[in-house]
Amino acid sequence: MSDLSEKDIEIFIEAIGDYFKQITKESASVGVAYLAKNAFPMNDYTGVITVSADYEGALYFSAPSAMLRHLLTAMKETNQSDENLLDAVGEIANTISGNARKYFGENMVISIPEKIAYLPDNLNELVRPYAYVIIIKWKHYSASLIVDISRKR
Amino acid sequence: MKLMIVDDSNIIRSRISRIMVDARLPPIEIVGYASNGAEAVALFIATRPEIVTMDLTMPEMDGVECTTLLVESDPTARILIVSALSDKATAIEALKNGANGFLYKPFTDDELVNALLELIKE
Repeated sequence: MSDLSEKDIEIFIEAIGDYFKQITKESASVGVAYLAKNAFPMNDYTGVITVSADYEGALYFSAPSAMLRHLLTAMKETNQSDENLLDAVGEIANTISGNARKYFGENMVISIPEKIAYLPDNLNELVRPYAYVIIIKWKHYSASLIVDISRKR
Repeated sequence: MKLMIVDDSNIIRSRISRIMVDARLPPIEIVGYASNGAEAVALFIATRPEIVTMDLTMPEMDGVECTTLLVESDPTARILIVSALSDKATAIEALKNGANGFLYKPFTDDELVNALLELIKE
C-alpha cells in the first residue's frame, strides 16, 4: 500500500507531464491520481523501477505499442523494434523516478529498469493493493503510471 | 574532437548521436557507444575520446564509478553527465568525481547541443 501524500504524488504527475512536453513538444493530458485496490491498467509494454533505501515498492509506466511507436517517431527514432519499444518504457520509468529524487532525495535509491512485454495475466498481483494510478493521454493514446511506493517504517 | 556516448538505453544513445549529426557541430566524431560503465572503460582506453556523455544509472558499473576511472586514465577528458537523477547530492558527487557538467533528462536537442558546446569551450 502506498503511503505517499497528495503532495508527494504531485511530483510524479509533474514529472510525466514534463517528459511529454520536453520530448514531443506537445502537452499530454495527465489525470488526477486515484487509489486503486487492484485491477491496475496495464498495457503492451511496461517499465518497472524498484525503489529501496528509505523507500520500498516500485513505479510502473505502461503503454500500448502504438503510442510508443508514435513517441519514437516524435524523437526521430526510426528503429521501432520490440527492443526499442521496451527500451522506451524503461527509459520513461527511469526518467520519472530519477526526476522525483529532486523532491524525495538521494535516499530514494532507484534500480535500473526492468522491462516487460505483453504482460502475463498475473502482473496485477505484483502491484500491492492501494497503489496510485495516473492516466496519461497523448494524442488518442492512453498510458498509465502506477506509483506503488511507500516510506519504510 | 572524439566523442563517446555512454547510456544503457538504445534510444538515448541513438538520439544523442542523431542530435550531434543534425547540429553539425565543429568537427565531432563519434568514436563509440557503451551501454554500461565496464564497456565504457574498455572503449575509452581503445579510442581515447576527448568528450564523453555519461549516464549514471547503468548495470555492471554506474556512471559515477566509471567517471572516476576515466578521469584517472585521462584527466583532460571532458565528461558531461546526462541523467534523470535530479537530486543535488548526486550532481555534486558526479562533479566531485571528475565530471565537468550535468544535463538532466529529459532534455531537448538544443539543451544537449548547448551543454556540449560549453564543455568544448572550457
